[in-house]
Amino acid sequence: MSTQVIEEKVALKLNEDYCSNCSTCSSLCPFEAFKRDTETGKTVLQIDKCQVCGICYSTCPAKAFDIIYYDMDSLAKYLERAKREYDCNTLVIMCKGSAPNFAGVERLFGVTKFIPLSVPCIGRIPDEVFLKVIAMGMGVQVLACDKDYCRFERGSTVTGRKIAALNLLLEQLGYGKEAITLKRNSLKVKADVDLCIACGNCVFYCPYQAAKLGSPGAVHFDLTLCHGCGLCVAMCPALALELENWEGETISTLLSKLSSEMKPPEILVFRCQWAVFPLLNGGSAQNACFIDLPCASRVDILHILEAFRRGVSGVLIAACSEEDCKQEKASGKARHSVTKLKERLTQIGLQERLHFCTVAPRYPERFDRELEQFSKKIEAIQSKESKE
Amino acid sequence: MIVTTQKPLDVVLDYLSPFSKVLIVGCDGCTQPPRGLREAKTLGQLLELGGKLRNKSFVFKVTTVAKQCDSYLAASTLKPQMGGVETVLSLACGIGVQTLAGLSPEIAVFPAQNTHFMGAEEREMATLERRCAGCGDCLLALTGGICPVARCSKGLLNEACGGSKGGKCELSQERDCAWVLIYERLKKQGKLDLLKEFRPPRDYQLSGWKVTV
Repeated sequence: MSTQVIEEKVALKLNEDYCSNCSTCSSLCPFEAFKRDTETGKTVLQIDKCQVCGICYSTCPAKAFDIIYYDMDSLAKYLERAKREYDCNTLVIMCKGSAPNFAGVERLFGVTKFIPLSVPCIGRIPDEVFLKVIAMGMGVQVLACDKDYCRFERGSTVTGRKIAALNLLLEQLGYGKEAITLKRNSLKVKADVDLCIACGNCVFYCPYQAAKLGSPGAVHFDLTLCHGCGLCVAMCPALALELENWEGETISTLLSKLSSEMKPPEILVFRCQWAVFPLLNGGSAQNACFIDLPCASRVDILHILEAFRRGVSGVLIAACSEEDCKQEKASGKARHSVTKLKERLTQIGLQERLHFCTVAPRYPERFDRELEQFSKKIEAIQSKESKE
Repeated sequence: MIVTTQKPLDVVLDYLSPFSKVLIVGCDGCTQPPRGLREAKTLGQLLELGGKLRNKSFVFKVTTVAKQCDSYLAASTLKPQMGGVETVLSLACGIGVQTLAGLSPEIAVFPAQNTHFMGAEEREMATLERRCAGCGDCLLALTGGICPVARCSKGLLNEACGGSKGGKCELSQERDCAWVLIYERLKKQGKLDLLKEFRPPRDYQLSGWKVTV
């Protein structure tokens, strides 16, 4: 009997033939995913530690990495397509971790028309892409996270250094000072003290001790400590908290738009933006719609219920595993909330229509598999119900 | 805090079945887990989904009161919102439900919760435990700050019954023996002599029914 081992598709590969063992990747990797093989002396990628930040891909002098998301080819294709589509000459590259809404971009950069490129960590964008954009005659604005809040630890610092070096080069070439503008931004919580009931939930749930509740009165947030995960927002019993750019109302509006466009079996996926990296050419699933959130802990049970009320047949939540969680243990809290809601949905027979899964971008096919399985399950439920 | 649990949705749907315009009222007071605006909205959505299964549709209005047990506060917040409302669903403890029921006697008020006890939350464990029995004769000074009336299954006043095993109650292996806790606490405080003091049977009338402030 022979057992066939099917190798799982991974998001990042190190091509041994090109690798010169220079150690740039292992010195920059925030997750210590590289080691040196003691026997061969070669650099080895340990994929189970990789969070696919792409810093190694963009900095490797030998171009020895193959990456699935936002690689040079797909970025170049996107740029050419977007230049025609948006009909404008300004590219705004934003890290998903800090990407503001349209008004935020206007406030920060003073541009009203721009091509948006939102990626998980700007540290993944190779120098060649910046140069190509400049060569295409476009202006580039970059919005990175504040260094202390970078989800990939060194991504924001690497971006800063890279752009400083590129600007120096571009200045020497005659493109003027600061050809690439770099700004920093981070998501923060907003508290409405008029609504605060001083219950202390946020003080307990905040993984970063940013919420403080003195006596007497309402909650106060130390925004230098806030990492913008949104856990407190989803846990606030008084609906007194909001996360910048991911306000409850903003998500509701998006939800109502998406649910009106869906085709059966209507699946709505709330994705942690660090657990699933969307591809630049869109996705393959026809019936599913996606709402990307800064962390699975921002998934609000009110939004899940709203989706069901709007006729969505199934809600899938894709989070990071607790080990991979870019926030402190927020993924576990998200799982707990969803489990609790599932218990309540059992009373009205909707429990099978809600599913929580943990995935990681390093295994790009896992999320697709989860979605496919869930879609089939929902289809089966629907066909059973229609027979009854 | 007053500890409550949600009634089964079927029971609440039965209460509401003769009505369609419903005001759901949360309580921001001591009800635990908090039953404020979020819980009121969540319940509204669940009832709407549950109603669909019964081919029943509701129009929900959702609001919350800082303390439902305060009749003045409840009246001033809710009276302006009661227009056109056929019934009220309260997320407060039994006290809040009774206060609301007194606001407009012609409008029926239903409880969405079962009220259990006065307790404290163990946040990490996500559990709530009974802590005070409201006996009207506080003994905590003598028992190291641990109440035997509320926390001993048998409510004993003069030390353990003898059935405790490994620090747990003989009636439930999950439950700590209050008298073991009291003994350990008093030992740490060097006050074990307090245990020698005889306490006569309690006067249950002290709990009372009315207090004038």
